[in-house]
Amino acid sequence: METIADFEIQYSQFLDPSGKPSADIPDFARDSGTLVEMYRHMVRTRVFDNKAINLQRTGKLGTYASCLGHEATHVGLAAAMHKDDVLAPSYREYGAMLYRGVRMSEILLYWGGDERGSDFEGPKHDFPFCVPIATQCLHAAGAAMAFQLRGEPRCAVSVNGDGGTSEGAFYEAMNIAGARKLPVVFIVVNNKWAISVPIELQTASKTLAQKAVAAGIPGIQVDGNDAIAVRHWVERALARARKGQGPTLVEAVTYRLSDHTTADDASRYRKKGEVDEARRLEPLIRLRQYLTDLGAWDATREKELLQAVAEDVDAEVQRYLNMPKQPIEAMFDYMYRELPEFLEEQRDHATQYGDSNGGHHG
Amino acid sequence: MITFNLPDLGEGLPEAEIVSWHVSEGDTVKTDDPLLSVETAKAVVEVPSPYSGVIARLHAQAGDIVATGAALVDFAEAGSVARQPKGSPEPEATMPEKEDAATVVGNVPTGGGLLQETAIAGGGRRRKGGRVKATPSVRTEARRLGVDLADVPATGKNGQVTSGDLARYQNTVAKPRPAHTSPTPGRSEALRGPRRAMAQSMTQHRNEVALCTIFDDADIHEWIMKRDFTARILRATAAGCSRAPALNGFFNAQSMSHQQESRVDIALAVDTDDGLIVPVIRHVEEMTLDQIRDEVARMKKATLDRTVAPQDMVNYTITVSNFGMLAGRYATPLMVPPTVAILGTGKLQHDVVAVMGGIEVHRRIPLSLSFDHRCITGGEACRFLAAVIDDLEKPQ
Amino acid sequence: MAEMTLIDAVTTALAWELEHDPRVVVLGEDVGVNGGVFRATAGLQARFGADRVQDTPLAEGMIAGVAIGMAAQGMIPIPEIQFMGFIYPTVDQMINHAGRLRNRTRGRMSCPMVLRAPFGGGIHAPEHHSESTEALFAHMPGIRVVIPSSPARAYGLLLAAIRDPDPVVFLEPKRIYRLNKQNVEDNGKALPLDVCYTLRQGSDITLVTWGAMTFETLKAADQLARSNISCEVIDLATISPIDYETILESVEKTGRLVIVHEAARTCGVGAEIAAIVAEKGLYDLNAPIRRVTGYDVVMPLFRREMDYMPSVSKIVDAVRETLQD
Repeated sequence: METIADFEIQYSQFLDPSGKPSADIPDFARDSGTLVEMYRHMVRTRVFDNKAINLQRTGKLGTYASCLGHEATHVGLAAAMHKDDVLAPSYREYGAMLYRGVRMSEILLYWGGDERGSDFEGPKHDFPFCVPIATQCLHAAGAAMAFQLRGEPRCAVSVNGDGGTSEGAFYEAMNIAGARKLPVVFIVVNNKWAISVPIELQTASKTLAQKAVAAGIPGIQVDGNDAIAVRHWVERALARARKGQGPTLVEAVTYRLSDHTTADDASRYRKKGEVDEARRLEPLIRLRQYLTDLGAWDATREKELLQAVAEDVDAEVQRYLNMPKQPIEAMFDYMYRELPEFLEEQRDHATQYGDSNGGHHG
Repeated sequence: MITFNLPDLGEGLPEAEIVSWHVSEGDTVKTDDPLLSVETAKAVVEVPSPYSGVIARLHAQAGDIVATGAALVDFAEAGSVARQPKGSPEPEATMPEKEDAATVVGNVPTGGGLLQETAIAGGGRRRKGGRVKATPSVRTEARRLGVDLADVPATGKNGQVTSGDLARYQNTVAKPRPAHTSPTPGRSEALRGPRRAMAQSMTQHRNEVALCTIFDDADIHEWIMKRDFTARILRATAAGCSRAPALNGFFNAQSMSHQQESRVDIALAVDTDDGLIVPVIRHVEEMTLDQIRDEVARMKKATLDRTVAPQDMVNYTITVSNFGMLAGRYATPLMVPPTVAILGTGKLQHDVVAVMGGIEVHRRIPLSLSFDHRCITGGEACRFLAAVIDDLEKPQ
Repeated sequence: MAEMTLIDAVTTALAWELEHDPRVVVLGEDVGVNGGVFRATAGLQARFGADRVQDTPLAEGMIAGVAIGMAAQGMIPIPEIQFMGFIYPTVDQMINHAGRLRNRTRGRMSCPMVLRAPFGGGIHAPEHHSESTEALFAHMPGIRVVIPSSPARAYGLLLAAIRDPDPVVFLEPKRIYRLNKQNVEDNGKALPLDVCYTLRQGSDITLVTWGAMTFETLKAADQLARSNISCEVIDLATISPIDYETILESVEKTGRLVIVHEAARTCGVGAEIAAIVAEKGLYDLNAPIRRVTGYDVVMPLFRREMDYMPSVSKIVDAVRETLQD
């Protein structure tokens, strides 16, 4: 007997939880301005996220899935992407979406029960939120196929959670992307929990990065709380894809510090000690410390940033809250490019009942 | 001897070209030995031998085009143990080629010929008011009653005939549709046509009408024309209507209203094989006896010929039934609502009558006048009957 | 003008669009070198290359999902699913994404794609290869379902489906893939979607059907014509949305309706047609609507498959019963 195939999975971290470099800092991160910009986006994401939870708690927003703890992964992957690349997110990647230009008010509209939340002012070509788990991996593969066929130097990036790696679509997407060398990067945000199911019950794999092996594509595990690591390895993967060398799977290991959604109570299924431990590892602490140690950040700048972000968030919240409901007929008007006759009749019927037909507050 | 015909190679090609034979006449082959190569549109395919035996005859040569199903090879001694065939299979390292069945499962049927069709793209717009609109239940009822819905005035939404429309129409109409079947003994048969109409109208009558019948006789000893019976009855009925107009008209039970008519349109019940048919003689009050006679003759003929028009059977004001052609002197004839009176005439008899203190034998008509006591008084009915008798007893 | 079978017409239409629209990509299992298991894509890869006509890995959900991704990014993918029995993994993608993308992005994105699959019984196929489950897709908002029943309509409707800016499920009646030939001009002219095609005009009764059942239905109409029963035969063609005006117009004329489909009866498309006629054409009906359909059973294996399906005599009997009502 002989070994005919073998694999190993690399793990990468540049900043340890205390903000000390644990490896040689990559080139892009040697510019503290770049890191400060990433940090600003991470803080913005967190403030937004916190505000969204508060809106939900005060009846101004529907169920909301918090991204607390995912900021480094989100901002890191988005910072690695080109503007005309395509993001196919799941439903929690606010940090990445905001970085790419989606408005906070749009995200709030989505969770506030209004389809206009997925009609981004920009980036127009990014896929909307995707709730059916891991189905977006295939859309990213399809987008990548479109770019490949048209010879465009663009890439697609899909993001799904650890839970999504159990789905066939996740594997199917990697598989065809590998077979056809599609310019796509699959990012798994391993936050350890698929709602209430811990990673140990989801898979016997030691890493999720090794799921790439069966698809014949490279897989790497990075510290998802280290924005530098995420950005660095996603950049590498995108560069590789753009050169026609095919897809990569990047597993970003982080932790879901929040409940699954505002409707969930994670204390029912996980221990407080585990969360407290994870909180120590969260991404803002280390980057702030690193920048402070570099002399690129201080308490004043932190205060100014929080102030500016709060104003930004408040303005977007106001924009969201001031957005009137769509007219009733809007539910019909985007079903087809041209409304079929049978729907016209239903449209007329629905509009006749006007706003009086029950319904709840926007 | 077994003949192997060119099989359908799965593409529905009507024919195939023989590329080469791997056997010759006289060769012995085993089942599944290569027999010949045939070219289809997509591939050259190997056809294996379906039998073991000796090749007796090859029906075609290489290059020939053979129709699907045509004889290809005759096998002699089929089934016998075969020796190695002389021709060996072509030395192919690959799997033997098969015909392209153009499917991976089953067979896709072929050979249906050239399709000729006209296909008119839709996007239709319904015409409004084309056919009669009615619910299936109303249509069913109308069919049972033998009513053509086109004759029924529609009052429903979108011009549909409602069950109420049908009932109203039904109340004033006897049905023309003849049903030619006679019931089979011992078997229940649904009533159809006039008989079903009778069942309906009589049920309605029973449910609604407060029936009262009075009986009397008209002495026609003085008649000059002995055989002018029906015309005389009709004229007498018109006379009765003239004297007691209340009996000539309609009663609307819903609105509790009584409507007297000035016209005297008499429905004349005529017995036919299919049941009672009731043509209407109109405006009898304006007719001379001759005119009535002619009209009755015309209507009876039409009835027996079944050419009586539907409109000649509706909208009458009073009914006359000559039930006594065969037997029966008196009866309680039933009017069809909303009419309120019916005059029945029984079997003509020679009766012994007292005349001036003596005894004579006179011909008399037994009369039975039924009226709806909801709207007709006994006095009105008696005045009516008296007028009928007065008129009937005139010499002419 | 060329004589072609229904499947030739599919191939010809695909070739036309591949030739004239660089956004069009055909993808699926075995569609490339092999030309598709039924040869619907025969010769296309040789002509247009392995990028435009792609063999994919064997995962139907993947095929649909990748197609959706492509469509969202400006391509017009035409995925082929080998058999209806294998189409079900696509349901997630079709209902959750294809039919919703335009709506949920308020028109920012759309999903112009045609999911092709052969369907229906009658070819002596093994298990899972003979079902007719068009109603599954007809129930999905935002998705058109189109079924041709002749070479001419296969050509014209497939072109229309490819050019439609929204997703279309195009189901091909494989029993009649090669049954007949028809003269079809390869001129790139599409036929209208969303309309029925009246194949035979008549006055006594309306027969609505689609797919391979048009053949049985037309035969039944021929047979009934010999008894002076005049049948109007309508090919539904677009299963969703249904052109009910044409059906109602016909029922207004005939007053009677029989629906014929191969699929199982319960919640089949026939139920929807019957409901529409009950809602909008009740006052025109002379008799109850009848359905001649497959039974509500698992499609029997092929020794009994034809007993499952509507036949000419089943249709004729239903028509006669309906005329007696």
